[in-house]
Amino acid sequence: MKRIFFPAFLAFLATGICKNAALADTPQQRGFQVYRQVCSTCHSLDQVRFADLSGIGLSVADIKAYAASRQVPDGVDDDGDPKTRPAHLSDLIGSPYPNEAMARMANHGDLPPDFSRLAMTEEGGAARIETILRSYAPKPADLVLPPGSYYNTAFAQNHIGMPPPLHDGQVKYVDGTAATLPQMAQDVSAYLDWVAHPHSMERTHIGLGVLAYLAVLTVLLAIMKRRVWKRVKGTGS
Amino acid sequence: MTQDADRPTPLPSCPVPGGGTRRRDVLSTVIVGAGCAGACALAYPFLDSLNGTKNTELGEDDLIDVDISTLRPGQQLVVTWRGWPVFIQRRTPEMLASLRMVDITQRLRDPDSKILQQPRDAVNWHRSVVPEIGVLIGICTHLGCVPSYATPSPNDRSGKYSCPCHGSQFDVAGRVFKDAPAPYNLPVPPVTMLSATHVRIGQSKGDPDFSIASIQQI
Amino acid sequence: MNEPNTPPTGWLETRLPIVSAFRREYVDFAMPRNLSYLWNFGAFATIALGLLIVSGIFLALNYTPSPTEAFSSIETIDRHVASGWLVRAIHMGGVSMLFVALYVHMARSLYYGSYKAPRELLWLTGLGLFILVMIAAFAGYILPWGQMSYWGATVVINALNAVPLIGPSLASWLLGGEGLGSVALHRIYVLHFVTAFSIIGVIVLHVAALHVTGSNNPTGIEPKTAEDVVPFHPYYTTKDGLGLCLFLMVYAALIFFAPDLLTLANNYAMANPLVTPGDITPEWYFAPFYAILRAVPSKLGGLLLSAGSLAVLFAVPWLDRSPIRSARYRPVLRWALLGLFLAFIALGVAGMHKPTGFWLGVSRLGVIYYYLYFLVLLPFLPRVEIPRSLPATLRGEGA
Repeated sequence: MKRIFFPAFLAFLATGICKNAALADTPQQRGFQVYRQVCSTCHSLDQVRFADLSGIGLSVADIKAYAASRQVPDGVDDDGDPKTRPAHLSDLIGSPYPNEAMARMANHGDLPPDFSRLAMTEEGGAARIETILRSYAPKPADLVLPPGSYYNTAFAQNHIGMPPPLHDGQVKYVDGTAATLPQMAQDVSAYLDWVAHPHSMERTHIGLGVLAYLAVLTVLLAIMKRRVWKRVKGTGS
Repeated sequence: MTQDADRPTPLPSCPVPGGGTRRRDVLSTVIVGAGCAGACALAYPFLDSLNGTKNTELGEDDLIDVDISTLRPGQQLVVTWRGWPVFIQRRTPEMLASLRMVDITQRLRDPDSKILQQPRDAVNWHRSVVPEIGVLIGICTHLGCVPSYATPSPNDRSGKYSCPCHGSQFDVAGRVFKDAPAPYNLPVPPVTMLSATHVRIGQSKGDPDFSIASIQQI
Repeated sequence: MNEPNTPPTGWLETRLPIVSAFRREYVDFAMPRNLSYLWNFGAFATIALGLLIVSGIFLALNYTPSPTEAFSSIETIDRHVASGWLVRAIHMGGVSMLFVALYVHMARSLYYGSYKAPRELLWLTGLGLFILVMIAAFAGYILPWGQMSYWGATVVINALNAVPLIGPSLASWLLGGEGLGSVALHRIYVLHFVTAFSIIGVIVLHVAALHVTGSNNPTGIEPKTAEDVVPFHPYYTTKDGLGLCLFLMVYAALIFFAPDLLTLANNYAMANPLVTPGDITPEWYFAPFYAILRAVPSKLGGLLLSAGSLAVLFAVPWLDRSPIRSARYRPVLRWALLGLFLAFIALGVAGMHKPTGFWLGVSRLGVIYYYLYFLVLLPFLPRVEIPRSLPATLRGEGA
């Protein structure tokens, strides 16, 4: 009975997500839109596949359209030169740059961090990312920053290598939400949180099922154990 | 040590009251049953992980476009589609004629492609979208070897496929001969002719709902 | 054997008497009637180990032991392999649960004197198991090839190198010559597997030894009469079963609701031989030994002290000169032992902090007390301690 419970339960979860998607975009979906239009020009998602995006409730057609808009390496052409093709669903989303050297060249020698586990490896997680995105400010006149860095109050040294990535109205949300900077920062961090913990919802739901099952079994065994041991206690004392 | 020698033999414990036994039996049955169910549920993620990274729900539209402008009559070109070898042939008039010779079609198991081994637009005498271009998945329906192509020669202008493993024979349209072990014709993938020189494999214009997974045998 | 009306007969029984052997060892087997729930932890360790081995086999099917692919193959398991994240969570959680079970199991042995004659071999095989588990856990932690994997391995291999005489050879055999790279990772992968399966073999010895002497019990006196014992089934099957359910609930809570407790986030960044992460902390189960390693300002000294902290455990059956097993009847040792447990926990906490100031002091005090307990208190306390009177029988002991 437990055996069919799991797949049925997962299917139920999946439909639950899809239904939500039909009503309004989730923060993750809006965050994906920001990622797609803003972040992904510099930041990679080396471990995430296009197909994984169904996890935030994107439709297969939308994911296919996104994949088709991205080029991935595809061996060499007849002249031996590297060639590309539109991405498939099973491809990794990967980097906007062909290699690390070009990524560094385009970013003052720094490598924009990969997003796959950023919300996990960054101390403070997704909330920290949101804070960083919201902590850009005009530089005080008397402050001298190192070249290629930008004033950001989220850091002890008050600067960061990344230029301010977001500004109000930068993207036009499909669901009509006003794309203010705080809104976008919040959505992007929700998306990155999902990227770093893609199974957290499933994990919680299965966990509740497992705990409920064990709780029932514990009660049954406690009754059984008490009944069995009653005999010994009776003669012992 | 001596302690072992002192060790008493286990004795049957105190007598069990009759009423208790009955209730305990029900309870222990329930517990053992629940335990087994839990063990089965635990086995699920392990066995499920054997499915690997396959994601059947999303479906993979693997389209490849092949330039056949350099393919000469009588020749075949091998490309890979979904990891399978796909033969693309440009047929000569003699090859086409051989496909309709009665003494040959008599010896075929399924000359009219009645068994689902091809999209609907390839259910015809040449098993392809246009007669001149044949496209086949090069996997013998017997036990999965790749049949080798015998190019048309002055002795046999029709060309054919023979499987090196167990001697199955196919005509140039991939139809299997009766006196060999392979049971079905070679599969035909979904094909769309983009132009006279370009073939798209993976999508069939004449049978858009065709899924290669639905055929009798690959 | 206690039911003469059903003599062992039948085809299987005459050729391979496993059914009657199972009955003898796991159904009718005489157990002291007064075991507490602390006696459940051996069963917990066995279950945790079983889950580790099964999940490990399924993980191995999707893992690639090469520096370029290891990290992404783990990411693939976590993200794309069907139920892969769950299999990996069971494996990662299993390690912590196994160590919890082992530490409690060992602490119980120390408290109730389960290492004393005639159970010395039970204690020694158990320590062997503990060391094998530590090796397997260390090797396993390197496999994901994250930052902590890489730098943890680097530190341990350099420590190995500092061992006089055999150290450089051992390190060289492990590395295969060319630094921590492809060859080394492959060897560590094989080591992980080999130790994991060796553990099963040693468990067989451990359990066989247990079934020769029988279980110790909280009083430390041997059961003498039939009244002192109960058959394993149904008494301890139900008691172990109940305990096991609670153990599994903690296990499930850990993997489903606190997965981040199990890992150091840095290990989700791929190994980078050019950058050492800011704070290298060991996994919690190694922390006490790590603290001992850093407690003295000497490379070799730290190594000797932490290796010695394990080695001294092997001598415990002969260091303890008291004829009384259970600390329950030894009023002074009881407190001394409590101090040992606290010292070990303090060492663990210190191991997770930087070895400066306060925490360095804690580590040093911890090390001193650890050795003091085993080398001074254990052998010499019986001379001054006045034990409490032992009960004559297990009857009336709490069940």
